[in-house]
Amino acid sequence: MLGLLLRRAGFSLLSLVLVTSCLFVLTRAIPDSPGRIVLGTDVTQLQLTQFEHDHGLDRPVVVQYGDWVRGLILHGNLGTSFITGRPVGPDIAATLPVTLELVVVAFVFSCALSVLAGTLSALLRDTVLDYGVRLIAVLGVSVPGFWLALVLIMALAVDRDWFPPGGVEPWSAGVSEHLDSIVLPTFCLAIFYMAVLSRMTRSSMLEVLGQDYMRTARATGIAPWRVLIYALRNALVPVVTVAGMSFGYMFGWALIIESVFNISGLSRALLTAIQQRDFVLVQGVVMVFTFIFILANLVADLTNAWLNPRIAAVRA
Amino acid sequence: MRRLTALFGGGGGLIGAILVMLIVADGLAAPWIAPYDPLAVDMTASLVEPGPNHLFGTDQAGRDVLSRVIWGGRASLEVSTLAVVIGCTGGVALGLLAGFFNGGWLEQLLMRVLDAMAAIPLLIWAIALVGILGVGPFTIAGITFGNEVKLLSLLGVLYIPTLARITYACALAESRANYVGARRLQGVGSLRIMISDVLPNCLSPVIVQATLLLAIGIIIEASVSFVGLGVQPPQPSWGNMLADARNYLFSGEWWLSVFPGAAISLSVVAFNLLGDGLRDALDPRHTAQALTA
Repeated sequence: MLGLLLRRAGFSLLSLVLVTSCLFVLTRAIPDSPGRIVLGTDVTQLQLTQFEHDHGLDRPVVVQYGDWVRGLILHGNLGTSFITGRPVGPDIAATLPVTLELVVVAFVFSCALSVLAGTLSALLRDTVLDYGVRLIAVLGVSVPGFWLALVLIMALAVDRDWFPPGGVEPWSAGVSEHLDSIVLPTFCLAIFYMAVLSRMTRSSMLEVLGQDYMRTARATGIAPWRVLIYALRNALVPVVTVAGMSFGYMFGWALIIESVFNISGLSRALLTAIQQRDFVLVQGVVMVFTFIFILANLVADLTNAWLNPRIAAVRA
Repeated sequence: MRRLTALFGGGGGLIGAILVMLIVADGLAAPWIAPYDPLAVDMTASLVEPGPNHLFGTDQAGRDVLSRVIWGGRASLEVSTLAVVIGCTGGVALGLLAGFFNGGWLEQLLMRVLDAMAAIPLLIWAIALVGILGVGPFTIAGITFGNEVKLLSLLGVLYIPTLARITYACALAESRANYVGARRLQGVGSLRIMISDVLPNCLSPVIVQATLLLAIGIIIEASVSFVGLGVQPPQPSWGNMLADARNYLFSGEWWLSVFPGAAISLSVVAFNLLGDGLRDALDPRHTAQALTA
């Protein structure tokens, strides 16, 4: 288990280095010099050279990347914005909690509900419940979340007064106000993954239930709920892998959903940074997301090793 | 009829296939079937409700929503199809090389690079990179491309690992099959065996995955256009129409948001049904994966 952990962690670190260096090179490769963006279009070549020298942009990309990594590890500094002149870390840290809350709530709900729905749908195959779950699964992957958000705002926030049409009320405004304000965004975020995961749970569960060892388990007279636990331990492996990826992907969709609901989370930070062409901030946000994505995949791998020890044995 | 149904893996697949054909035909025939010019502004007919003259109503600039939905479909299909073409070309080539020439440094190198690429959250990178590159049109060798070309190339590159991994798994298994050994004994070169014998045997799961990726591509194009980084106005796309519709949520012009969104959902349902059907028909072992993005 420890061997697997180290191996997977080492590999995740390698991916992180490859992917961040790739992003770093891309943000440095834009034809427009950041100097031209900060100082305006009518700067002289001399000013431009001076600016690039001051910010170390005239050095080779490898050196710049090394510097950036050193700053990150030693000082936790994600880079300093050319536009605002401040480190981008605090700006990201200030907007991350809202996004994180949406994603975590949506993730927990979609995992719990989809495992429940997928399992029931597999156990009660070809019943009304099964058809219902499958129908919702097809619709859930097909209806884009941001459109659902628009329709729900029209139906439930404008026509009726059930939910606020946008924004997230802080906890300080009251617990129920806060919860009301995150219902629609988290639902729109969760529905796609609920569909994907319940479909996976269902098909994986059906496959496991058809295995010989399940029949043997039932034949030995173990209580049905314990048989179900055995089945779940095996059936959930592919689901956990996809759930791990989903957690990272959800941040991407959260950007879109936040922009529909006018929530001042990371999406606003990212889209503003894009408008201002503040590449260091853009790069910082993407790095944070990529890090979360890789971390979530690692956690999924380890969860699988715990669910099914054979995986640890095979891969280590 | 039964043969046709079996070809698409059941009734759902057949319905998907028919819908996809209709959607593609609709995109191709946009210039002829759209009742109005999608860009024609008519301020005297702004925000007209759906009616006989404008089946889907008109938007704030008096442009016909039906025509814009039809042309938007064309943009959406263009982006998702070309992205899948790029992804398939790159993914199949890399996966085939890594799988067929397995056991060497080439396999290790390719697979590690692909693994690293799979560590990229697709949507965020698409948004950020288009944002970094800027949303204007760009010119290469005298040909001017719209912003959507950036989006589709990026998507294509980001699709590569998924498709490569499927091809790899198949090519790896096939490379040990007896017929490959037999071809070698006949004196056929490795590259030739790889392309003319192994490749055709590995296409089924790729086709299935490609169909499912088309569905995801439509949603991603719409989402990225929605935040203003995809297809640029005034050129219509379902995503940027919905972005405009956002300003009319409170005033009751429901047709602005309902029709483009319904068009997205219908297309995605169609490609998903077709993909699921094809999977049942072509890929019984389900090597192609359920997708998230």
